[in-house]
Amino acid sequence: MPHVLDTSVYVHFPWCAKKCPYCDFATRKRPAEAIPHEAYADALLRELVLRGDLRGRRLVSVFFGGGTPSLWAAEALGRVLAGIRGAFEHEAPELEVTAECNPQSLTAEKARGFAAAGVNRLSVGVQSLRDDQLRFLGRLHDREGALRALSDAAAAVPRVSADLMFGMPKQHAMDAEIEAVLATGVEHVSAYSLTIEPGTQFGELSRLGRLEVAPDDDVARMFQAAEARFAEDGFAHYEVSNYARAGAEARHNQHYWRGGDYLALGAAAVGCLGEGAAARRYRNVKDGDAYLEAVGGAASAADVEGWRETLGPEERIQEALMLGLRTTEGVDLGALEARLGCDPLTGREAAVERALATGELVREGGRLIAPRAQWLHLDGITARLF
Amino acid sequence: MSYPLERIRNFCIIAHIDHGKSTLADRILDVTGAITKREQKDQLLDRMELEQERGITIKAQGVRLPYTADDGTEYQLNLIDTPGHVDFSYEVSRSLAACDGALLVVDATQGVEAQTLANVYLALENDLEIIPVFNKIDLPSADVDRVKREVEEVVGLEVDEVLACSGKTGAGVREVLETVVKRVPPPVTDPESALRALLFDSWYDPYRGAMSMIRVVDGTIEKGGRVKMMATGATYEVTELGVYDPFPKTVDHLGPGEVGFFAASIKSVEDAKVGDTITLAKHGATEPLAGFKEVKPMVFCGIFPTDSDQYTELRDALDKLNLNDAAFFFEPETSEALGFGFRCGFLGLLHMEIIQERLEREYNLDLITTAPSVVYHVHLQDGSMVEVENPSSLPDAGQIAHIEEPYFDVSIHVPAEFVGPVIKLCQDRRGIQKQIQYASEDRVIVTYELPLAEVLYDFFDKLKSATKGYASMDYELAGYKPNKLVRLDLLINGDRVDALSAIVHKDNSYYIGRALAQKLKKIVPQQQFEVAIQAAIGSKIIARETVRALRKDVTAKCYGGDISRKRKLLQKQKEGKKRMKAVGRVEIPQAAFHAILKVDG
Repeated sequence: MPHVLDTSVYVHFPWCAKKCPYCDFATRKRPAEAIPHEAYADALLRELVLRGDLRGRRLVSVFFGGGTPSLWAAEALGRVLAGIRGAFEHEAPELEVTAECNPQSLTAEKARGFAAAGVNRLSVGVQSLRDDQLRFLGRLHDREGALRALSDAAAAVPRVSADLMFGMPKQHAMDAEIEAVLATGVEHVSAYSLTIEPGTQFGELSRLGRLEVAPDDDVARMFQAAEARFAEDGFAHYEVSNYARAGAEARHNQHYWRGGDYLALGAAAVGCLGEGAAARRYRNVKDGDAYLEAVGGAASAADVEGWRETLGPEERIQEALMLGLRTTEGVDLGALEARLGCDPLTGREAAVERALATGELVREGGRLIAPRAQWLHLDGITARLF
Repeated sequence: MSYPLERIRNFCIIAHIDHGKSTLADRILDVTGAITKREQKDQLLDRMELEQERGITIKAQGVRLPYTADDGTEYQLNLIDTPGHVDFSYEVSRSLAACDGALLVVDATQGVEAQTLANVYLALENDLEIIPVFNKIDLPSADVDRVKREVEEVVGLEVDEVLACSGKTGAGVREVLETVVKRVPPPVTDPESALRALLFDSWYDPYRGAMSMIRVVDGTIEKGGRVKMMATGATYEVTELGVYDPFPKTVDHLGPGEVGFFAASIKSVEDAKVGDTITLAKHGATEPLAGFKEVKPMVFCGIFPTDSDQYTELRDALDKLNLNDAAFFFEPETSEALGFGFRCGFLGLLHMEIIQERLEREYNLDLITTAPSVVYHVHLQDGSMVEVENPSSLPDAGQIAHIEEPYFDVSIHVPAEFVGPVIKLCQDRRGIQKQIQYASEDRVIVTYELPLAEVLYDFFDKLKSATKGYASMDYELAGYKPNKLVRLDLLINGDRVDALSAIVHKDNSYYIGRALAQKLKKIVPQQQFEVAIQAAIGSKIIARETVRALRKDVTAKCYGGDISRKRKLLQKQKEGKKRMKAVGRVEIPQAAFHAILKVDG
């Protein structure tokens, strides 16, 4: 069998019922009745054709992200998924197909519909189980709604993940939220510390000195407390912001973190495909309507793209370090060298040596790993290797 | 073509910074037809990239321009460009000595400003005919009448004939050249004297060795002839002789009054000293031209590679820079904190900044530089004296009888309304008042004796802000004076960091120690552990500050759509770390080593 390239597909759904004040993802507010369900599916399928030859590639995961994909008609999503699976020559067994959902738009019916369409993993944006904090985050759901969505999701698909956030003002602990979420039977939780991104509503408030968030000390304590709490229930802290029972890890995300190829479809979607030692990354035009128009008149996939860059081996090494060190498995140096044709540590020997001496990094077999105890300082550790 | 003396004019342009000196020089080249539009680069006379960027001229040059006057006579104009900063005042004075007249360019929208005066005094010292020129008349805010009154009243120059021009449009530039021909006196020579030529600039050419720019005063220099440098006594054969028009063009000889360059396989600029007199090797002149002086570095600092692997590269770069700049001195230095590097000496602060920038830019080095220091005369108990230009190498207090530090005579020209703030600044800086003198009704010359160390510590910036930029300042070494000086040490997590030591006056030492520790607390970034910053005099701790440990430094989310941006953020974080030096386990940014400069005494 010739060399098969494992490839993931990311599909972006660019609309939300409401834009959250902390969110810097490409998304637009749009009422449900105004969403072009079928037209968007048609456009995605056309882009898939424009993206061309997928021979020699093996589909390893599909992720519907957004935006709020749970606003999308299940049939439309199903058509797109079927198109994607049909376009690949090979497919991994037990293909992971995830859809991101908001508790407010994830009805039991929608969950069943997605499952029927081929989705086998739902990632639910719970964020918090305290109503005051949900209001602070500008979410449309409450505690009840979140717990209901989780149980509806669990009833429909075999794998459910919940998103939680921490670092909200006056928040000192999140044990209660973790407990309640785990009680619903989820096997995977992403727990993010609230990040104030420039260009968001929160970013603007923060710039003006009007946004109160938890101090770093509290955030660091909650980060450590979360790890301990999850461990009690047998959840491993397998990436900086992700916890899972053994075998329940998000394969799609692991594929990113291992530096795998990913094809992107849809408005604002970002894809990255290797080309020898280099790689090409692209992002499609950001706005949903602009995307529909661009696909309509596109002669090639390039006409749908709004931005692109070429990554040389050095950038690819930097990304492999940046992403791999965030995971318990670390960076597979041998695999990286095989992929890029050069030793990834060349030129950074001294920095690696120092990090190994201070315990910031360890080497296990052919892997470079940042021990969990170092994760709170990971950016500095990684930057020193750049 | 050779010109008789009466048809040669040697002149320069002097101006306050940004008053349009270089633009006018370009326009003069343009008007005389020396360069075509295509060849014209902005500010052609400023050769080096750095000069162009900072808008200051470091190296003097001379350009020969043929000029046919309105009466049909053809003249040889030699336009000599002068360095524009007080650090290079010796080089400026030698360039001016090569001229017979000066165009004093004043911005007609701004008026007389700080350096206008200092430049005029320098020109007067060199007996130059000064021709005021009002520039930038193309701008709507130009007010020639007002600025003319200022030149008459403040500078004290009679303006019989108003020369108004625009370096930008070229308006009035021809009239300026007509005036140069009429008013700048032709060169004077002694027909009986053997060759005497003033060397007013030198630079290094990798193929031809040190090149010298000269103004012939007496006699003739010829290609192939043997000449002697009167200060060094060395003799050379002139291998190449030429002029810039503005492109280099070789000639066979340069006669009295003429300006040009020569090469003579001279190994380094050290042997082609600015201010030296060139004469014939045999039967040469016995009296050199007046004014030669050895320039000595006044300001010292340590320069270290951030990455110790770059030590050899740094040494090679210093060697190369030294070839071109004899005034700059360096020798190896070892610091416990910063490792292997060099102690370097400079003419002044700007000279230091320029060298540092060139090392980083042209040689792509990441450097840590320590705060500038002066040379202290340390008299020991045993009666001997040692020169100390590195605070960390000050002998133990027990061995020291007393310490002397260099003082400058500083004269500050300032509008009367700013006299109060200037006096306060000088008093704060341990100055000794010498004189306060009214130059005119509203212009005052304040003269102080100031310790050079105090001048280094942010004095220019403070003076500028205290006087809204109106003060001009001139200084010269006034000698050494004893003072109660002590070494202030900084400890980071208990270890003395030698590169942070400073010599300060005992009376201010507690205050400075506390202020410095506070300043460093703001500069030293949070680390993964707590960092203690202490100031000490001898074994006594006088201040302590703590930098709290960094609790969280990790990105929350990293998925497919965001990878490029996160990578760039980390690259930026890495760039920030480049300027840091790991001292023990603590990463200290470059700014920490200059914090002492920003502490108000």
